[in-house]
Order: sequence, then C-alpha cells, then structure tokens
Amino acid sequence: MNRSKDLDTVAPDDEVFVSKSAEETPKKKNINTEKKSEVLLTKEDLTQKIYNILGHTKSPFSSFLVRPKILTFAERDENEEIYLAVRPHWINNLSWIIVSILMLFVPLFFRYFTFLNFFPGQYQFAAVLFWYLITFIYAFEKFLSWYFNLFLVTDERVVDIDFNNLLNKHFAEADLSVIQDVSSSVRGVLGTFFNFGDVLIQTASEVNQINFEKVPNPEKIIKLLKELRDLEEEKDNGGKNNG
Amino acid sequence: MDNILNINGLENYFFIITKVFFVSCSLLYLVFALIVVKQVTSMSKSVTDKFNAILILFSFIHLGFSILLILTMFGL
Repeated sequence: MNRSKDLDTVAPDDEVFVSKSAEETPKKKNINTEKKSEVLLTKEDLTQKIYNILGHTKSPFSSFLVRPKILTFAERDENEEIYLAVRPHWINNLSWIIVSILMLFVPLFFRYFTFLNFFPGQYQFAAVLFWYLITFIYAFEKFLSWYFNLFLVTDERVVDIDFNNLLNKHFAEADLSVIQDVSSSVRGVLGTFFNFGDVLIQTASEVNQINFEKVPNPEKIIKLLKELRDLEEEKDNGGKNNG
Repeated sequence: MDNILNINGLENYFFIITKVFFVSCSLLYLVFALIVVKQVTSMSKSVTDKFNAILILFSFIHLGFSILLILTMFGL
C-alpha cells in the first residue's frame, strides 16, 4: 500500500510514495514563467512568427502584402501596426483586362462600315477619342476598385475597406478580441489552381461578419488570425492573473 | 455661328443634331472626369500606398483628354 511521505511516521517496510503534486509544483511554476515570457513576446519574435506564417512579399504589386511599410489608411491609430494587407487575387482582374484589350480594337472595325465615312474626319476623330476615353475609364475604374479594395490585419483589428464604382466607400472593422469564428472557402477551378478564396470572419461586435473576398492564401490568413487571437487571449489571461 | 446660319438641307440639320449630342455628351464626360479626379484624390487620402501619385496623375491626364474632347467637339 502506498503511503504518503508527509505522514508523521513512516513504517520501514512500506514503499514510500512520493506525492505527484509535490513533484509537479516547481514544474507548474516553470510553465507559468514560460507563459509569461510568451505573453511578453518581443516585437522581433512576433515579426519573425508572422514572416514564418505568411512568408515575405516579393513584389510591391502583389495582392498579398506582409507588413507593408508604406501602406496606411485614414482610420489607423497612431501606433497600430499592419501585419497583412490583402487585395483580391490578381487573376480576378483578367476578365476586365481582356474586355479592355478588345475595346481597344473596336475602332478598327469601324473601317468596315462604309456608311460611317459619311461623317467628316473631325467627327470621326472625336468619336474615336471619345471611345478610347471610355475604354480608359472603364479599365481605370476596374483597376481602382481592385486596388482600393483592401483587407487589413493589424495588431488590434481586422479591417475591410471597399470602394464600389468610385462613389461608394465601405469600411468595416472588428477587434481581434471579438473574433469568434474564422472560416474559408476555395471554390472553382481558378480558385483551386491559384489558391484564392473567401475568408469569413464571424465576430461578436455590431458588424457580425467580415468577408475577405477572393483573397490569396486563405489558409495563411486563418493561421495568422488564430495566432493573433491566441496572443490576445494570452494577454488577457496574463492581465487577469497579474491583476 | 456661320455653320448654323448656312443651313441649306436635311444634311445640315443632321450634323447640327449630331454636334449638339456630341457636345452635351462631352460636357457630361468632363463632369465625370472631374468626379474621377476628386474620387481618386479622396481614395488616396483614405488609403495611402506607393502608387497613389501615379493614379492621381492618370486621373489628371484623363481630365486633360476630356477637355481636349470638348475642344474637338466645339471645333466641329
């Protein structure tokens, strides 16, 4: 029969049982100190962790910008750091690029319509100029809609900035602490081939859903969000324990 | 004015109507080009990135061409 060491008397024949709790106490202390040190991750460690998850940005034209140095937004707090800026995958631009290229060649077909020669040269020039301006503004508007359609992950929150048709601005944000669920879906041949999809973030805030649409590497974004949420939770727990 | 006064047939009426149509379209387009400049500028203020200056430049070039379009239309 096992007997505890801390009994007043120990019979010589009895096997001495060392209580687990007595052995584990110093270990628990170690775990606590490790956790505290994890909570107090240095900025360099965190940066390295982010790079490990997301990799480095190779091109400034990339739609997946890791810790962009120049990019900023009007609603950004003073010390807020952007970890990730994402635009929809560039392949989504292919349709309007093809349409724009086709539009460039449309005036060439006018040559085959002889009745248009009825108009004087000046009219024809004005019409062609007008057509090219429309082609340009079509492509420009599509590019701007893509370029200013940004999803940001900062050290405090996730942000969705969206401009539709040059005239409408949409801004949504949610603190990292209120994120409840994150899910992703990769659909279609292009999505699977180029690895882009939607990331849906469910939150407990007023804006209960933030949807990152057609973004590249959704699995990396989910991993980053999970890491940041864990860090946020650890911070909260650390704060409560200290308090 | 001389062109308008020298109306001597259906053809001239047709060209006048076409010209009025083109001029009004180009005026509307100029207003649109101004809105584009305004919007690109405000977008750039909202989200600052490397290529914002180039985008603003493009919007101004577009405005310039729309002014050229109006001048062409008036010259018809």
